[in-house]
Amino acid sequence: MSTHLLSLVVAAPAVAAALLLLLPRQARLATRWVSLCGALTSLAGALVVAWSWDKAKGGFQFLEDYPLVPSLGIHIKLAADGWSVALLLLTGLIIVTGVLASWKVDRRDKEFFILLLVLVSGVFGVFVSQDLFVFFLLYEIAVLPMYLLIGIWGSSHEVPPAGPFRFVWKRFAVGSREYAAMKLTLMLLVGSAAILVAMFVLWSHSGARTFDLQALQAVAFSRSTQMLVFPLVWLGFGTLAGVFPFHTWSPDGHASAPTAVSMLHAGVLMKLGAFGVMRVGMVLAPDAAVAWAPVVGGVAVVNILYGALCAASQTDLKYVIAYSSVSHMGVVMLGAATLNAAGWNGAVYQMFAHGIMTGLFFALVGLVYERAHTRTIARMGGFAHAMPAVAVCFTLASLSSLGLPGTAGFVAEFLVFLGAATTRFPWWTVPGVLGAFVTAVYVLRAAKTIFWGPLPTGEFAHLEDARGTEWGAPLVLGAALVLFGLWPRLLLDFIDVTSAAFLQRLPLLADALR
Amino acid sequence: MTSDWLQLLTLDLAVAGIAGLVLLGDAVLPGHGRVWGRLTAVLLAAVLGASFVLDVSGSTPHGAYVSDAWVLFFQRVFLCAALLAVLGALDWLEARAPLRQAEYYALLLFSVVGMMILPGARDWTLLVVSFELMGVPLYVLSAWAKNDGPADRPKLAAEAGLKLFVTGTASSALTFFGLALILGFTESTLISAVPTGALPPLAGVGLLLVVAGFGFKVGAVPFHMWVADTYQGAPTPFVAFLSVAPKAGGLAALSVVLLSGWARQSAVWEPAVLLLSVSSMLVGNFFALPQTDARRLLGFSGIAQIGYVLVALCTHTEFGVAMALFFIATYVFTNLGAFLVVHAAAEQSGGHTLVRLAGLSRRSPFLGAALLVFLLSLAGIPFVAGFWAKLFVFLAGYRAGLVWPVVLGVGLAVVGLFYYLGVARSTFMSEGESSAPLHAGVALRAAIALCLAAVVGIGLWPAPLLQGATRAARALGTVPGASATR
Repeated sequence: MSTHLLSLVVAAPAVAAALLLLLPRQARLATRWVSLCGALTSLAGALVVAWSWDKAKGGFQFLEDYPLVPSLGIHIKLAADGWSVALLLLTGLIIVTGVLASWKVDRRDKEFFILLLVLVSGVFGVFVSQDLFVFFLLYEIAVLPMYLLIGIWGSSHEVPPAGPFRFVWKRFAVGSREYAAMKLTLMLLVGSAAILVAMFVLWSHSGARTFDLQALQAVAFSRSTQMLVFPLVWLGFGTLAGVFPFHTWSPDGHASAPTAVSMLHAGVLMKLGAFGVMRVGMVLAPDAAVAWAPVVGGVAVVNILYGALCAASQTDLKYVIAYSSVSHMGVVMLGAATLNAAGWNGAVYQMFAHGIMTGLFFALVGLVYERAHTRTIARMGGFAHAMPAVAVCFTLASLSSLGLPGTAGFVAEFLVFLGAATTRFPWWTVPGVLGAFVTAVYVLRAAKTIFWGPLPTGEFAHLEDARGTEWGAPLVLGAALVLFGLWPRLLLDFIDVTSAAFLQRLPLLADALR
Repeated sequence: MTSDWLQLLTLDLAVAGIAGLVLLGDAVLPGHGRVWGRLTAVLLAAVLGASFVLDVSGSTPHGAYVSDAWVLFFQRVFLCAALLAVLGALDWLEARAPLRQAEYYALLLFSVVGMMILPGARDWTLLVVSFELMGVPLYVLSAWAKNDGPADRPKLAAEAGLKLFVTGTASSALTFFGLALILGFTESTLISAVPTGALPPLAGVGLLLVVAGFGFKVGAVPFHMWVADTYQGAPTPFVAFLSVAPKAGGLAALSVVLLSGWARQSAVWEPAVLLLSVSSMLVGNFFALPQTDARRLLGFSGIAQIGYVLVALCTHTEFGVAMALFFIATYVFTNLGAFLVVHAAAEQSGGHTLVRLAGLSRRSPFLGAALLVFLLSLAGIPFVAGFWAKLFVFLAGYRAGLVWPVVLGVGLAVVGLFYYLGVARSTFMSEGESSAPLHAGVALRAAIALCLAAVVGIGLWPAPLLQGATRAARALGTVPGASATR
């Protein structure tokens, strides 16, 4: 077995990006094929990792270690645990379908694919990095290209000024893509600043002069250190995970971003945040995680319900999906806050399921927008006649979103709520399930208004179904939703091994919340 | 130990020799302006190469001047800055002032000689003289393009020069007055002659006056008033140099005085330097926000950067000094590069305002990408040099217990990102008035490419520079301060 498998997965998109730099601007088809090959290489690598990851052995596999700044104890150390396997697969699926969905980007397409691939290299890297510092480095790489991706290729929309701060609307051009890009970048960078401070604290208090996550895991940090680190990590990574009230970048950003970027951002990047909270915050500062669990869980419940209610009141299709991400990321954070096996498995499974689902949503919304040139739900209707496949996939994603048994969303939400019901705070499940109900209201209403009803006339008469590369995202992601809904063990076996290992190290944890 | 102390000054004398050669050569063979620039660049590169080959360490018998890894680190930084500044100015000088080219290079080189002696000076007299040698040519160069301003303010350069001159001489006066107080107490011109006991108030005031004098040169708040106006009025290729090299020089002087000499009296100077640092971070970052002229924006951002580096100085640990050196070295390449890109763009779009920079990435993908990298480096984004610099400085501060300045700095770095990205927004996302391709001269492009290579190279592989900085800091022999044991 090759020991450079993870480097391959991480580096393939970056290498493809470097190749793109050398291509002439006119070679448009080659640009797309090189990008697709880079993405496919990573996906293939991720599949090989999943195939040969030894579930009986568990732990960290495919270890690679290269020194970066040895004097400060910084190493590029890559290894895959069970969570990484699931998230690598997710990232691979999303980037491949994302490249297919961007086949028609026509403006400055070379730069677009370069940035997209660099970004995804960072994402892959975060999921397998076993060095806190490199984890953070790659996290930044995954966050920053977003500014240009949204600012250059995004779309603006009208926001009528309202409220006591309406003068701000004009000053900052609220609703424009530049505004969304700047808001997203700045909010996430504030989060990064918090993470950076937390990293300093961990590094200097560990006494080991190392950023190695496993070494840090073995250190028993004092309670006061943990109580300082955990909220910083929670808010830092949590900003990216859309934790209330730091989620406001997400609807604007996702609505303004081009299709593939929305797919990647809502589908994968928000998971980076949740993954960071669990992998860094909860594993390295277990005592503080227990102490903070009521807050984390309480805020997560607010996320679920508030996100769902916001989504229900939107008129812009992309905003509906964007707010639904806020709501669903609440499910992930709720699962994390349970600190038990069911909840953690559910959280990671929800990361995967929501990633696939929201990727599918944004791909379809992109398709619809490209044809109908509107995102206002009220103006659409009866599209199923013209684009049956899109309608079917959208409905499928809707059903997964509301947690219908047989879809991946069900497995995840069920596990999370099961986990939540067995904690000290079983009431968490009430608003949680209520949120799932509101989700049913808004996704089904959107699906009904857009796709079902009488045959469209006038400006929508010329609509057509997906063609060529546009089939990629609906088919692959739709199939994944059903496959992992019907056969959850395919992923749960990986996830469970790692969740159990992390929880086993903290024997008191499981009882603390009982 | 007889006359071989002259060899300690080999590199400094070589640069002075180039300056003399250029000046004399131009007098003897007038009208060959462009030759002198190229000759200077080649010779500077040779001196830079020689600095890696020659071993010139040692100290003068009376201890007024030393040459060691610390000095060598700074000398290489200054040589790099001078080389890049000369390359960046070649085309511009050729086009604007073909008859006065040699003067420009000679003045620049004289200033560099002053800088190169500065880090090795261990005697107050030598320190102050080399500090002035560094400063005086800068006054002249600021007012170089005296009638070259915009149509509505043709005398902008005169204002720039005057402002730098007045504040510069005022700061020198402060330094001299402070020195008078200190020397009267220590009765020795050696910097290391430091009283052990409590400092009498007057000598403390003297030390603070010296710090203030150096504060002017590095542009720390509240001694920053000249920065933005001078940057706006002086010729941009020169500002590229002015914004980095004298700051490194000032930092060297501050380090020598405060860390190797007066470290034991840190109770006196540490609060003052910390105040400079915090106020520089605050003022630099917030005043940069509303700027519409790229040079003023970079000026205020430079003030903020100095605030960050002073945090490392306040730690008065060897680690802190090493991190400050790393920071200033990366800052030299980053800021020089940024100013050169702004210069290249402004030469053809007719102004330095952000509006004029709009659409730069379409007009010249190379310049656009280079500017983005420099801005990200200034903002402290991973995988470019500035990230490590900021990280190391904050790490040093955190380890020394300066938690609040570090938290403030990390927070303000986000404010910084706002205006750096604002520039990126105008170069990448807005459409400019013109979309004609933009061509910069070969030398200018080479200078920018060198900066770019350094910034990206250090960003990907920081270890060698870090080692160099650590070795240099060790050579300085930082004396642990009274409060370093916290």
